[in-house]
Amino acid sequence: MFYHISLEHEILLHPQYFGPQLLEKVKTKLYTEVEGTCTGKYGFVIAVTTIDNIGAGLILPGQGFVVYPVKYKAIVFRPFKGEVLDAVVRQVNKVGMFAEIGPLSCFISHHSIPAEMEFCPNVNPQCYKTKDEDVVIHAEGEIRLKIVGTRVDATGIFAIGTLMDDYLGLISN
Amino acid sequence: MAEGLVLISHQFSKPIKVLKWKVREGSVISIGCVMLLFDYDGSTEAEQRKLKSTQAGTVHRLIAQEGAIVKRGDVLFELSPCIHPTVINDMCAECGADLRKDDLTTTASIPMVHSIPELKVNEELAQKLGKADGERLLRDRKLVLLVDLDQTIIHTTNDNIPPNIRDVYHFQLYGPGSPWYHTRLRPGTHTFLNNVSSMYELHICTFGARNYAHTITMLIDRDQRALFPCGDNMVCIIDDREDVWSHASNLIHVKPYHFFQHTGDINAPPGLDKHENDDKEGVDLMKNNKNEEEKSKENGKLEDKNELTEEMKQVPDDSGSKNTNEKKDEKVKKTAEKKVENTIVEDNVKKIEDEFLDVEDPDDYLLYLEDILKKIHAEFYKEYDKLESGQVPDLKQVIPNVRAHVLSGCNLVFSGLVPTHIKLMNSKAYQVARSLGANVTQDLQEDTTHLVAVRPGTAKVNAGRRRKNIKIVTPDWLWTCAERWEHVSEIIYPLNRRGSKNRHPPPHCSSPEHVPNYPVHDSPAIRKRTPSGRFMDTINPLMSFSSDDIADMDKEVEDMLDDDSESDDEAKRKHTLRQEIEITHKIEEENSSSSGESLTGEYPRGFKRSRSSHKKDGAIDTEDVESSLDEFPSTKFRRGEKLDSDLDIGDSNSEGSIDPPDEIEDGEWNMMGAALEREFLSNS
Repeated sequence: MFYHISLEHEILLHPQYFGPQLLEKVKTKLYTEVEGTCTGKYGFVIAVTTIDNIGAGLILPGQGFVVYPVKYKAIVFRPFKGEVLDAVVRQVNKVGMFAEIGPLSCFISHHSIPAEMEFCPNVNPQCYKTKDEDVVIHAEGEIRLKIVGTRVDATGIFAIGTLMDDYLGLISN
Repeated sequence: MAEGLVLISHQFSKPIKVLKWKVREGSVISIGCVMLLFDYDGSTEAEQRKLKSTQAGTVHRLIAQEGAIVKRGDVLFELSPCIHPTVINDMCAECGADLRKDDLTTTASIPMVHSIPELKVNEELAQKLGKADGERLLRDRKLVLLVDLDQTIIHTTNDNIPPNIRDVYHFQLYGPGSPWYHTRLRPGTHTFLNNVSSMYELHICTFGARNYAHTITMLIDRDQRALFPCGDNMVCIIDDREDVWSHASNLIHVKPYHFFQHTGDINAPPGLDKHENDDKEGVDLMKNNKNEEEKSKENGKLEDKNELTEEMKQVPDDSGSKNTNEKKDEKVKKTAEKKVENTIVEDNVKKIEDEFLDVEDPDDYLLYLEDILKKIHAEFYKEYDKLESGQVPDLKQVIPNVRAHVLSGCNLVFSGLVPTHIKLMNSKAYQVARSLGANVTQDLQEDTTHLVAVRPGTAKVNAGRRRKNIKIVTPDWLWTCAERWEHVSEIIYPLNRRGSKNRHPPPHCSSPEHVPNYPVHDSPAIRKRTPSGRFMDTINPLMSFSSDDIADMDKEVEDMLDDDSESDDEAKRKHTLRQEIEITHKIEEENSSSSGESLTGEYPRGFKRSRSSHKKDGAIDTEDVESSLDEFPSTKFRRGEKLDSDLDIGDSNSEGSIDPPDEIEDGEWNMMGAALEREFLSNS
């Protein structure tokens, strides 16, 4: 799920940037340091929308670095158990398939793929398909899945998905 | 009821009527799986509803019958909870349970997909998947081929090489600042893989790091698939070394691919010599540089190129390893020595307009390998079709059988190939020939078809020349047959005056361990193997010595030790020994002196090669004996004696030096030699 929330971040700035462009530098540094990262609590920081406040810088004694507490708003993506998402299939193998929802990777076990879909390793690209080839899921295909579990680490999130529900599976255009 | 079963009961407020079960007992269900169709009891609308599972697991028993009306709280079915058969990142891929958090255990431990080691499945599932794989392979009429990377289809170096050689890929494994790797694909790799992939499912297997394998896989553009925990009867392995597979019989020992000189297998398994094939063959790129420089100096142009190569030379090695630098020094030295080879390389180097060095690579082994694999594939499915009952033939038997067809029907006789002290059946050449299906006899027979001779002028060669139906070839013929698994034309390997130096099979075609049993032509060969005329084969010479004889021998040795300062020739002339002594020396020679003396004299070109093959076989048990002998004067003496008794003085060097220590299979003789050795030492 996507959220637009207020977050805080501390920017550590080298003294060489002390000058007229200082605040610009703080902003660009915030973008590079924050966007694309992932925290367990808020999920993936997709984009910084506004920078609300750059607090007073604190010079670290002995180093000369300055620390700016920055308040900003960002769009974050936090997957939840039970959430239904659209994903792009990355890899298909006999144990299941891997899909990506933006920065989130997700695994779907072949038990969680409807039983009428069979793994076909010999066609190129490898795929899961129904007998009548009505539905063919292969790499780069778009699927809708439901998340059944997430593994939240300090550095990233990994999800387990399933296709066993109504309206899940290949998204046909 | 078994432990851990969960009763799933009806939770709706209204009673329902079970219309149809959508699952069976024993079926695996996951969350969201449709369990049954129902409608509310007494409802007027004929609408079927689905009951979905809220838990993952296996259906143990269905309790509610179809058509039964179930009230709230009544049990619908028994469910044994998820045993987490598939686990990724410590999370069950079926039910999403966090296996780190709760006290959940999993039996999943087998990584099923090469590229994703964190995805694991339990044994049961692995078996199931493996079996499905096996069935699929049979259905597609494919086999599995384990492809070794280093020196089989690629050659990688981390020496400094010019950055502009064609078909060499450069990459860093561990990010910027880490050593550069330079990989050259064996000529024809892409075609080979394309052609072979129609018959085989390819799997990469290497001792290198995982990301090394991935990088290479990207280079050769093959998708990797999962491994099969279901036996190895459909697995064929191609590798340049046998030792790592403990000489499995489903291994095709390929000729190592050697492109960059001075680099062996960079991913050699620990404990094995990394640089065993060093400076044997391959292209020395530093030399190429030199040539380029010379050329450009002559022509007075291409200066930028020149600078480039200069630079290459001065840049210190990334890895900072002294070894490589030292090796380079060696290399420079060797440049002078190997002028002959140098000129060959010079011829091979061509300058291309777009600044790419195009090094000609004469290696065409993959073409032969492809043929071998085709044959094996055809043979396997021929067998499979014969066995109608769905049995699967075993490649471990099929492969040796295919090999045994290569020279079947040929009756070989060796001349000068097997040293006299070694029994024919114990010699490498014999085993290579046998593994190819040829029949080998000690002496010329009526039906002899080939005479494999090291040099002209032996009695057998003379006798063979008189008979028209015998083809006289050098051992290279046999080695080539073994390398390519085909009956090579004999015309290419005629015995000429120079003879052949390659008495020993190159390491990659020596697979003596798995000579299959050939009931057809085995029996006569064995009988003929004990020639009546050979004293040494029948009687243990040391047993026939009287104590006087031994005392004599001791004295002889003492004399010899006194003559320490004398030259070899003098010593040789002085000691005319009796028959027994001669034999004794022969025994010793097989044990030790041969390699000892080869250290002193110049050795033939084949020596290096055969030596490395010994190393490979791990049979260097005589090495310590050899070193202790090195300074021992009796070595010299023995050589003198040998020269005296041997007619072929010109060839005696090769005779001595390439007598392989590993061919002594008779432990008895070994021990006697050692005993004698001790005696000599105690006298000194």
